[in-house]
Amino acid sequence: MKKLDLKVKDYPELAISWEKTLINKTGTWRTFYPKYFPKTPPCNYYCPANEDIQKYISFALKGKWEEAYLTILEKNPFPSITGRVCYHPCETGCNRRNFDESIAIHTIERFLGDYGLNFVEPKRKIEKLTNDKKVAVIGGGPSGLSCAYFLLLNGINVTIFEKEEYAGGILFYGIPGYRLPKEIVKREVEKLIKRGAKFIFNKELGKDFSLSDLTKEYDAIFLSIGAQIEQELGIPNEEANGVLMGLDFLKTINLKKKVKYFGKNVLVIGGGNTAIDCARVALRKGAKVKIIYRRTKEEMPAVKEEVEEAIKEGVEIIFLTAPVKVVRDKKGKVKGLECVRMKLGEEVDETGRRKPIPIKNSNFIIKSDTIIKAIGERVELNILPKEIIGKRTILADEYGKTNMEKVFAGGDCVTGPKTVVEAIAYGRKTAYFILHYLKNYEIPKKEIFNLVNYENLNIYYFEKQKRIEEDKLPINKRKRNFKEIVTTLSDRDISYEASRCFSCGVCNNCDNCYVFCPDLAILKKDSEYEILYDYCKGCGVCAHECPRNVISMFFEEAK
Amino acid sequence: MKESLIYGKKKVVTGNHAVSYGVLLSKAEVIAAYPITPQTQIVELLSEFCASGLLKAKFIKVESEHSAMAACVGAAAAGCRTFTATSAHGLALMHEMLHWAVGGRLPIVLANVNRAMGPGWSVWTDQNDSLSQRDVGFVQFYCESNQEVLDTTIQAFKIAETCLIPVMLVLDAFVLSHTSEPVDIPYQDDVNKFLPPYKPKYFLDINDPRAFGGLTSPDHYYEIRYKIEEAHRKALKVSEEVDNDFYQIFGRKYGLVEAYHCEDAKLILVTSGTITGTARQVIDEERSKGKRVGLLKIRLFRPSPFSQIKEILTKAEKVAVIDRNISFGHSGIFCQEIKSILYNEIRRPMIFGFVIGLGGRDVIPEDIREIIDFTYKADYPQEMVYFRGLRI
Amino acid sequence: MRWKFANNSEEYMDQGHLACPGCGGAYAMRLALKALGKNTIVVIPACCWSIIDGPFPLHSLKVPVYHTAFETAAVVASGIRASLDIKGKTDIEVLAFAGDGGTLDIGIQALSAACERNDKIIYACYDNEAYMNTGIQRSSATPYGAWTTTTPRENFKKERKKNISEIIAAHRIPYVATASIGFPDDLIIKFKKAKEVKGTAFIHIFAPCPTGWRMAPELMITISQLAVDCKVFPLYEVFDGVKYVINYQPKNIPVKEYLKLQGRFSHLTEKEIEIIQREVDYNWEILIKKVKLYD
Repeated sequence: MKKLDLKVKDYPELAISWEKTLINKTGTWRTFYPKYFPKTPPCNYYCPANEDIQKYISFALKGKWEEAYLTILEKNPFPSITGRVCYHPCETGCNRRNFDESIAIHTIERFLGDYGLNFVEPKRKIEKLTNDKKVAVIGGGPSGLSCAYFLLLNGINVTIFEKEEYAGGILFYGIPGYRLPKEIVKREVEKLIKRGAKFIFNKELGKDFSLSDLTKEYDAIFLSIGAQIEQELGIPNEEANGVLMGLDFLKTINLKKKVKYFGKNVLVIGGGNTAIDCARVALRKGAKVKIIYRRTKEEMPAVKEEVEEAIKEGVEIIFLTAPVKVVRDKKGKVKGLECVRMKLGEEVDETGRRKPIPIKNSNFIIKSDTIIKAIGERVELNILPKEIIGKRTILADEYGKTNMEKVFAGGDCVTGPKTVVEAIAYGRKTAYFILHYLKNYEIPKKEIFNLVNYENLNIYYFEKQKRIEEDKLPINKRKRNFKEIVTTLSDRDISYEASRCFSCGVCNNCDNCYVFCPDLAILKKDSEYEILYDYCKGCGVCAHECPRNVISMFFEEAK
Repeated sequence: MKESLIYGKKKVVTGNHAVSYGVLLSKAEVIAAYPITPQTQIVELLSEFCASGLLKAKFIKVESEHSAMAACVGAAAAGCRTFTATSAHGLALMHEMLHWAVGGRLPIVLANVNRAMGPGWSVWTDQNDSLSQRDVGFVQFYCESNQEVLDTTIQAFKIAETCLIPVMLVLDAFVLSHTSEPVDIPYQDDVNKFLPPYKPKYFLDINDPRAFGGLTSPDHYYEIRYKIEEAHRKALKVSEEVDNDFYQIFGRKYGLVEAYHCEDAKLILVTSGTITGTARQVIDEERSKGKRVGLLKIRLFRPSPFSQIKEILTKAEKVAVIDRNISFGHSGIFCQEIKSILYNEIRRPMIFGFVIGLGGRDVIPEDIREIIDFTYKADYPQEMVYFRGLRI
Repeated sequence: MRWKFANNSEEYMDQGHLACPGCGGAYAMRLALKALGKNTIVVIPACCWSIIDGPFPLHSLKVPVYHTAFETAAVVASGIRASLDIKGKTDIEVLAFAGDGGTLDIGIQALSAACERNDKIIYACYDNEAYMNTGIQRSSATPYGAWTTTTPRENFKKERKKNISEIIAAHRIPYVATASIGFPDDLIIKFKKAKEVKGTAFIHIFAPCPTGWRMAPELMITISQLAVDCKVFPLYEVFDGVKYVINYQPKNIPVKEYLKLQGRFSHLTEKEIEIIQREVDYNWEILIKKVKLYD
């Protein structure tokens, strides 16, 4: 405080104030200073597509459905699809899981996806469509469609070569309608066409055209041919009538065609999502269905909820059992499968799971009319030039760049069989790299993640709230139809669920910092706060009382 | 109580009630008090006035004298004319808040009925209670008659409000407080003319929010304390002016001190309070015998009217100061004061100090005569203090 | 949590006040004035707030403040009240804002008298459980087990805390409430109620002192919430001295969780913590019975 040079005559008769304490710059007392330092919520962090989940939930909370939908679209063009089929690692990472139950993010995404599908018209950005660059996308599955979307968005002409008669790949041909209605896929594809996508159907790489054909005509090529070659069992009599391929089986059903050799007792081999899909589809076709899997439930790669649903619907899963030999009748038709009991050994494989070992003399036969093989898929590499392929997949870096000029690749054909959302993410990343390649766009910066853990939150300000439950088609109504099991929730339900979001690491203007500051050193502005460093004493109350770890304290360096 | 029965009449009232009438006429707005003998009658009558609506004041019945003064502090700080009364232990308990009233520059008027301090318990008069508060910064008036009590009460408010300094008026227990005398009760209109409504210079104002009495560092404290000293110097002047103004309207004046037959006096008695009345009578007798004795009545004790006291006493050869109080280990307090005032004068009288009448023991003309005789005969004061009427 | 009042941007306090970092008392004033608004006169006896407000010639509040002697908060407020009333300024509220020493100890006499007279004042005690301004000496508000500079080491305070709210409620004034700075809206609501009351209102505010409690300043709010949730300082109101209402159902957290965050309790053994837990539980039972008594 500045020293006052006052004479007696300058003073009032008594010690009565004439100045505000504002002249006391109490900020000089500080050792640590607070700073609004937004961090990464785990949902965003764990989302393979890095969707800004917290942000779209915050829009959803305010009923700003379109803004919420468009937020998803920045990272993922097909929320109506991922909202249905994604295995939602976001929910596994959700901090709320440690408090009561994680946010049902997928229900919100699904709602927004449907909202967008119904109410948000795509804007084709004519002015940006310069026509000077053309990209060919080979394969109309999730990564191809995703790549096409982001290229279109940035004014690139895109032609998608699809060997089948419909676009969507696994979305259309693989995933059964009770999980993902074909209608949804069709509408998303239509929307993409509205945005300017050109499709060439029934043309297959290596058969109808070659890569070099395209490199002449197009400025860049994106390979997204997926992993579609199904693995063989390598056991005797595998070629018997009634032994089917999983994806093939699903495709036939999805095309509403008749399945040859489809009997009353179906046996599915495998523990992945394809196996579960096959089993549940077979069930809907009126069969009694068993699955054999060589390890235990814990090791099953399929999405847990799907496994549970399958069991509820009546699928019997026989664990620790491996196929030995197909048993057939004289006509060469399947009669059953000889199996062997397994146990988990000490050795661990490359996936980190214990390797199953057969138990001697434990062979037994499971009777069945139809056997569906669903033990995995691999990439068709024969149709590709040698310089871009590896042992099992196409070789490309994280941006989809291959060793060949103009040629890029992404999705399952690079990663091996993975999930829809990962394929979509790959498609997006490669699209932006192609934009960099063609139009000198900056490569999107790698995001820096300051993950917010549960311990960083101040949970005092949260109340326990039940997670919203989706309505599901009753088990007894799932027979002999492919009706979608899950129903999209109402906007009221979605608002409720959105209200459960902790908004980890992202300020949502809860005002706690403003409310609790004992030094009035935080000013409230329209949608943000300002710290008055002249007065902040650095007590740390704002940081501590921030429920979502937005404010951090930093050491005050000597000035 | 009907107004017509009070104003503009000569009434026979006690000293205590004279205070009450003074407060009534001064239109005090907040009164806070706690009962103590011999003061209680002051506030009893004020309660009556309030209850009858004659006095539109808030009477806060506090739980202690400390709180009485604290309540006055609050009320005065919020801008009201305030009054309290007490005695002895009550005043002692108020001590801390007397400082607050002074430092807060609050024009509170306090009537103290002089009562001796316990133990042993005494309800009778002496001045040790009020003189113990000498240094808090209150203006102190010592009154001789019930009329003077009433008039001083009214004057006290005017002085206090003009100088922003609290005023204590002092009257002797029983001798004045409970003794009835005829007193002129002024007309309210006249008092209104003399004492307009209180307009505080500083008050707790929500439209000008300030802090009163905050932590004051050595950088500022001294200057602000000096302001209190300035207020006392001003009060000395103002008291005289107020007394003159009072005379203009009411035809009565008292002076800050009163010199009685001092012009040619060789020996001057110095008194305060009711002993003055007794001494007056003795002086008249002695004068008739041809003795050149005079009397100086100290009415205003603080601020000290130095110049008048000097002017009067330096003409005498001997001064006898009669103290109804004692500063143990030293002498009577008035005596010390007089000595200190005269010390630097080139021509100064010999000063004899007499302590008398502690705890309300009667001071009779014979005592005064003895003091005069003793002082006359003595060549110089061999003792710092002489104890009159003490049974040795 | 959605704020009803605590986040309104009306402030009657300025930056630059002299409270320690994380001062519960400073914060309590901020909230109290948010509730009472511009038409308020504050009386501050000797306490931390004598310093916080700023040394002469400074002032941190946007309402007038009268600094007064330690034991006189209530009666000076009464004096101001009387003065305002006689001038017809009945729309101005008088708030006595005192510490625990100035309330439970030296000021209890004047406070009791104001309550008995039922003067229309609001008396708020910001309780930091010791004489903090003078350097952490025990007061009658210091709880059992606490270290202070006058109850050092093994001589930690062995006596229980004086229950001031009950003492004041026994005067049967219209409104007595406990409040915690960890519950700002509740605190503000109580001050608003106090304003409406016809007579004396007493609000006992739990206002931690990180400095004196040997605690990190950022815990100011958390500790205030814990005190309530551990039932150390339940939030309740007493109407007319008889009708008890509990305002918040504590989360029933063991008192240990509250004690362990504070250095002043760090010496306590399990046994002593058990004693405190039992006392806390017992007090809660009594409170429940009082609530039922009126129902």
